[in-house]
Amino acid sequence: MSDYVAGGRAERTVPRSTGVGIWGMAMLVASEVTLFGTFIGTYYYLRFTDLHWPPPGTPEPRVVVPLVLAGVLATTSLPMQLAATAVRRGRLWRARALLVLALLVQSGYLGYEVHDYVHQLHASQPQDNAYSSIYYTLLGADHAHVGVGILLGIWLLWKLGGGLTPYRRNATQAVAFYWHAVNILTLVVIGVLTSAAV
Amino acid sequence: MATAVYEDRLERMWQPRPGVLGWLMTTDHKRIGLLYFWTTLVLFAAGGAEALLMRTQLIAPNQHLLGPATYDEIFTMHGLTMIFFFIIPMTTGAFGNYLLPLMIGARDMAFPRMNALSYWVFLGSGIFIYTSLFLGMAPNAGWFDYVPLANAVYDPGHAIDFFCLGIIFNGISSSLTAANFIVTIFKLRAPGMSFNRMPLFCFAFLAASFGLLFALPSLTADSIFLFLDRNVGTHFFDVAHGGSALLWQHLFWIFGHPEVYILIVPAFGIATEIIPAFTQRRVVAFPLVAVAELLVVFIGFGVWAHHMFATGMPTITVVFFAAATAVVVIPSTIQVFAWCMTFITGNARFKTPLLFIAGFIFMFVAGGLTGIMFLAVPFDQQVTDTYFVVAHFHYIIFGAAVFPIFGGLYFWFPKVTGRLYFELPGQISFWIIFVGTNLLFFPMHLVGLDGMPRRQYTYPAGLGWGPDNLAETIGSYITTAGIVLLLANLVYSWFRGPVAGPDPWHGATLEWTIPSPPPEYNFAVIPKVSSAYANWDYEDREEDRRKLEQGAMVLEQGHEQPVSSTVDGWWREIVEMPHDSPWPIVLAFALSLVFLFVLLHLYTVACFAAGAVGLTLLGWHGEEPQESEA
Repeated sequence: MSDYVAGGRAERTVPRSTGVGIWGMAMLVASEVTLFGTFIGTYYYLRFTDLHWPPPGTPEPRVVVPLVLAGVLATTSLPMQLAATAVRRGRLWRARALLVLALLVQSGYLGYEVHDYVHQLHASQPQDNAYSSIYYTLLGADHAHVGVGILLGIWLLWKLGGGLTPYRRNATQAVAFYWHAVNILTLVVIGVLTSAAV
Repeated sequence: MATAVYEDRLERMWQPRPGVLGWLMTTDHKRIGLLYFWTTLVLFAAGGAEALLMRTQLIAPNQHLLGPATYDEIFTMHGLTMIFFFIIPMTTGAFGNYLLPLMIGARDMAFPRMNALSYWVFLGSGIFIYTSLFLGMAPNAGWFDYVPLANAVYDPGHAIDFFCLGIIFNGISSSLTAANFIVTIFKLRAPGMSFNRMPLFCFAFLAASFGLLFALPSLTADSIFLFLDRNVGTHFFDVAHGGSALLWQHLFWIFGHPEVYILIVPAFGIATEIIPAFTQRRVVAFPLVAVAELLVVFIGFGVWAHHMFATGMPTITVVFFAAATAVVVIPSTIQVFAWCMTFITGNARFKTPLLFIAGFIFMFVAGGLTGIMFLAVPFDQQVTDTYFVVAHFHYIIFGAAVFPIFGGLYFWFPKVTGRLYFELPGQISFWIIFVGTNLLFFPMHLVGLDGMPRRQYTYPAGLGWGPDNLAETIGSYITTAGIVLLLANLVYSWFRGPVAGPDPWHGATLEWTIPSPPPEYNFAVIPKVSSAYANWDYEDREEDRRKLEQGAMVLEQGHEQPVSSTVDGWWREIVEMPHDSPWPIVLAFALSLVFLFVLLHLYTVACFAAGAVGLTLLGWHGEEPQESEA
């Protein structure tokens, strides 16, 4: 070790490790995934203590549309990852374009889903029964995480408007990482919620 | 002399802002540790006063010092305070923050501003929960807050809302701290400190941090559900609408049992530092103890339902959880044997800190033995909700978590203040506390076996419970006297104690290589590490001194800190750490407003406060520290 730190400065030949900021995002994701794990555990705990799921009078969840939409959202992991790679190679415009593409799809997804959420509230409310309570809580929590991801994306786009710094490189990678986690979470959450109708 | 020149430069580079503003904006882990320390000490006094009120109420049958309603609030607040607002913030917040970077040879935590944020959020949550007591709306359904007792029908008003929101609020602070510790331990160890050269103290804090990070979400979810049930009208815990009352208990104890280990594992870490210093011997079976510290927490995640043996779960479930609980004995016993063998094979000097550790081992074994008794399910069902359980967990929590905290206070007092405490009053305070706690908690076993239920504000005469309860109350006063003597000793020593020098105990780890109190930059030279007992590696320390004269590995061109590889601790790069920042305290204030408005059902205003949180984050990330390139 002391060979290449003579004089207190490291030579640039040392292999780089994952930045501290990415580790921070990993900790946040670990915590959020555990929270969703608890929600999903609650869903199945309530399901297996009830006779009818969903209870009579409560509409069954739709299957095809939410699953397809979650699949579409999941594809935004690709532009996010490509944006992180582009930023690492210093291709700023490419990164911005990929980010805008991802943001468009993500915002479209969230817009439709929020509209649908409000629409569903006309047919059944979280106050109806335990099924509706966990259904709306779980779905709402997932939408909230998509929303935070969109805010992060907009913030990142704004930051990248001012050029590149090591900090912004790390931020792009961290936001891409967040989106991978949220996309997988959304697939799992929608899968769990639609399972009531299968 | 070159040494002085480099120390001077570091001094200028790391100088904090003067005055109060310096404390409000600080990102120095030592200052944050001290802030945590003073705050938790105040909350400890509050929790202790609540305990004394309860013991005074129970001194004799049919007393009416506290009415039943007040008593409910007092025992709930006592539990909440001691667990969430004293032990966790004292061990992780105060001891961990102050000592962990020193032990791994770092100059600060991995996320210094986030570290400040977790303190200010903690302070906000403490003020939040104690506001309820002053408004006469304190949580009153016990610290584990079972439904249906805690639902809106049986407990209307704001008391339980304070509980739900206060717990979520406090959980944010603990999660931030836990994440910070994990990343700090993974990335900021001094070059050369591979995992097998990391002090056992750090393993303990790593285990506790993982425990917090993965246990708290369960409690957060539980509190969200209860808040929604009470205020929105959902039916998570409402059996009449397809919910389940047991769901609360499951989610609570999925958090609650790991929580017990989160409370005591840092205390194990303190013990594994004090024992080598006072026996001048490396801890026996180092790798086994390190693995055992991690295993205790890991297994702790699979035993939660042993808190629920009296709820009528299926036999197979009960047997599984009883068996899983028995497994926890193995890593616990490994550690106890390792400590005892280190005592026996080393040259033990029974100074005050080591006395507290010896007392801790005694109390831990005693509490552990009663813990094993609960595995016998019929016995457990017999003593559930009696004082036998209270005796058991106070032996563990007071004996095994708080004794090492006291020992640690004496042990690191010279490091933090630069002065020695007075030995004789120190030893006397140990014996008073040791006798007091045993007099306080041992008779609880007896009245528990006699059937005295917990959480009741009084008891009738003629059941034979009077003498034991009187003894317990006397024990509580004696314990308090001991704690007062301990604190008085430390306060007096702070002003009049003899000067300690950098290393009064010939301690084993890196914090003893630097002056007392430590300078802002901690280490003038990034230390060389070739074992877990770095202060005993004289050649390495000699090399550090030579390097300082030549200005090698000083890193004085900014707030600089090396980052190492995760497992092997190889040198990777130098990063620039953030400076003082106003954002953590502003963010914590905005977050407090969010919780306040949610409590008052002003949801629209709460959304604006959440917007303020977002704006604060924008400001926070407007300053870009020179981070590593990924």
